[in-house]
Amino acid sequence: MSAAANVALDAAQLGRSLKRIAMEIAEHNGGADNIVLVGIVRRGATLAERIADELRANGRREVPVGTLDISSYRDDGKGLPGDPRLIGRDIPFSLDAKRVVLVDDVLYTGRTVRAALDAISDLGRAESVQLAVLVDRGERELPIRADYVGKNVQVPHGQRIYVRLTEIDGADAVVVGNANAK
Amino acid sequence: MSRLAKFDVVSIEDLETSDIERVFALADGFAAQLERGEQITTAAGLIMATLFYEPSTRTRLSFESSMHRLGGAVISSADMHASSAAKGESLADTVRVVAGYADLIVLRHPHDGAARVAAEYAPCPVLNAGDGSREHPTQTLCDLYILRKKKGHLKGLTVALCGDLKFGRTVHSLIYALARFGANIVAVPTSGMDVPDYVLERLAAERNYSFSTVTMDELKSLAGGLDALYLTPSAPHQMALFTDDGELRKFPAAEPPAALDAFYVTRLQKERMSGKEAGLAEYVRFDARALRTSRTQEAVVMHPLPRLGELAYELDADPRAVYFEQAAAGVPVRMALIALLMEKAAGASAGQRPTAGAIRFKAEPPPRCSNLNCVTRFEGAYLAPRFTLGRGTDATVLALKCGFCERELKIEYVGHARSHRYYRFDENLQGYVRQWIEEGSLAVFDSVKQAEEAGYEPYRRGPQREIMNEEEVVRAIESLADQVIADVHDMPGVSIVGVVSRGAMLALRLRDLIGAKTGVLPPCASLDAYQPADGLHPIDGTENFNVEDRTIILADDVINSGWTVQRAMATIWQRGRPAAVKLAVLIDRGHRAVPIRPNYVGKNIPTSRGERVQVRLAAAGTESKSHDRVMIYSIVEPLKEPEAAH
Repeated sequence: MSAAANVALDAAQLGRSLKRIAMEIAEHNGGADNIVLVGIVRRGATLAERIADELRANGRREVPVGTLDISSYRDDGKGLPGDPRLIGRDIPFSLDAKRVVLVDDVLYTGRTVRAALDAISDLGRAESVQLAVLVDRGERELPIRADYVGKNVQVPHGQRIYVRLTEIDGADAVVVGNANAK
Repeated sequence: MSRLAKFDVVSIEDLETSDIERVFALADGFAAQLERGEQITTAAGLIMATLFYEPSTRTRLSFESSMHRLGGAVISSADMHASSAAKGESLADTVRVVAGYADLIVLRHPHDGAARVAAEYAPCPVLNAGDGSREHPTQTLCDLYILRKKKGHLKGLTVALCGDLKFGRTVHSLIYALARFGANIVAVPTSGMDVPDYVLERLAAERNYSFSTVTMDELKSLAGGLDALYLTPSAPHQMALFTDDGELRKFPAAEPPAALDAFYVTRLQKERMSGKEAGLAEYVRFDARALRTSRTQEAVVMHPLPRLGELAYELDADPRAVYFEQAAAGVPVRMALIALLMEKAAGASAGQRPTAGAIRFKAEPPPRCSNLNCVTRFEGAYLAPRFTLGRGTDATVLALKCGFCERELKIEYVGHARSHRYYRFDENLQGYVRQWIEEGSLAVFDSVKQAEEAGYEPYRRGPQREIMNEEEVVRAIESLADQVIADVHDMPGVSIVGVVSRGAMLALRLRDLIGAKTGVLPPCASLDAYQPADGLHPIDGTENFNVEDRTIILADDVINSGWTVQRAMATIWQRGRPAAVKLAVLIDRGHRAVPIRPNYVGKNIPTSRGERVQVRLAAAGTESKSHDRVMIYSIVEPLKEPEAAH
């Protein structure tokens, strides 16, 4: 990580953001017991598990959690980034008449979410799909918007956003840094 | 005349109970003949073709051995993906070609309903050796045969099915068959691996049969009265029953003595699972100690094989471990089935029950099966989706059953083609829908929008009122054009796509305004969100319409749930990867059900859910815009007696 890296969310803030997102999901969906979470692999899936834990801690009943694996780049080595597409799914429950909360770590161009919407609509008749993201970094290329946002973060040109989660990276943080920083 | 009846065994349900009993009797006879080392020539001169689109050496060898034992011959393609299928030949063509070489086709295929397709296209009989996650009827015949042989009867047995009850096709076939023969079932699924609803619904509707689903803990208290355990490998929490030493002594001592007749252990269907499910799949480890308790003294252990880790080798020596006998029974049972087809050809009762007639739909496109693994999703070039009326346990939707994979599709809006009225389905319409099906006048829709685009009117509507007049509509469209021009810097990189029908009219109006204001006329195309296969059609006289790297202005008259926009984007994505999509709508009426937000809005009009917004637009290029207006009206839900049916 370069010295220029900025911490957008530290571990405590990240934890609070998730708590708030879980609270908003519970509030927005009232007494509805038909919520299911679908996390986008990889960090979105981890966040979905955490949100499910928060919902459970708030006394809601067990919320099913599934995952969609959407690859961001073509693996054919033809250079340009391709459009994200579904490469796997693990949703071992019906989405019929369910309120699906799609969870991802960063919302950027909207292309991953678009691919996820196609996958969900293929899987049945969900009542609705809501989108929860830890970070919205703007610069959308598609008409996608999030229902629940942990934090809006501006990312200067040439920089990237790094979401680190304890389960995967050993610690919780959202950091903005140089694209080539390790 | 053929020596084999054109009698297909796609499902265990294709066999009458008398057929199954005849198979068992014939199998007993063949088993005895094989035991005595007699040479059998029953099928001499007949050829069986085995087409395996996915590997199953055991099933294939068992079928091939059966035919050889009967004195017949076998031609085989063990790996279809390496041959014609890899060249893109359809299943229908392959079976018709192969039927020219053989008298009988045995098919194993990864797609649900594939055996039904093969049976319909092949002029010779087709035996299903497993299609997708559906049925595997000859395996079921072997299971029933060995269970009956060991227990003397099937009626009254209580069988517990444990573990993966979702993907195990042997389990589904076995469930239907056990229900038919009057055995009791207790389901003990691994978490997330429950018996699918369509299996339960079918049992309930066809046999008025239901069974309880219990957890492993509850099973402990039930185990006393069990006759059989059908075990499949399961998740860790279920291993609790067999922890430490895999023994069943953890059952409460106060329980009545068990009458366990059989354990049925199967391999996990790992190849049908996604990553997480497969990760869950810790194997049950079943060993000799499980048979030592008083409750399990009478229990036989069954397994369709191959075993992976769930059966200890030490069990093999126990006479109650019958899985090798069960596997060996596959040969006389399959011989018996082939012999049954010969008997049917010779006898007068050759006819197979006709399948129920499919519904003719009025609206195009007909509905699509919701099962992603349904054969209609892969062989769509020649297979028209086919549905019959389903059972449906939910009174608020019309259930349609796929004629191939039998999955039920749930329909919310139905239409009557003669009166051109649509209705939100509810159970009061059930009788009318049946009548419309008979008349061939049923239309089904995904949404109100689709119904209205097809020219259907709501069954009843409340009073209409105008919410935007000509001047307001003209101003809103101008505002949309101004928003686009202010937002988009590279107008030559812009193309416009309108959603038929009013979105396309809006697209052309925007194009004219943008052209007049900027001097750049963006190319324009339309798409039908409900006919994704139709793709994009240029509507401005241009020849080619590209989406690759273009900034697409997607235009529609009204945005409500947003699902139409999702479908529209999916259609665009079939053509390429645009640089961006910007959504322009004349009216945003709220009630979004997907995370989509328009970039440009002519007017926000808050509405209630029961209301409809109807936009009328003058065609682009016409001087008078006097057609422009926006009406709002409420939809009255259907009453008990829709007038359209009179």
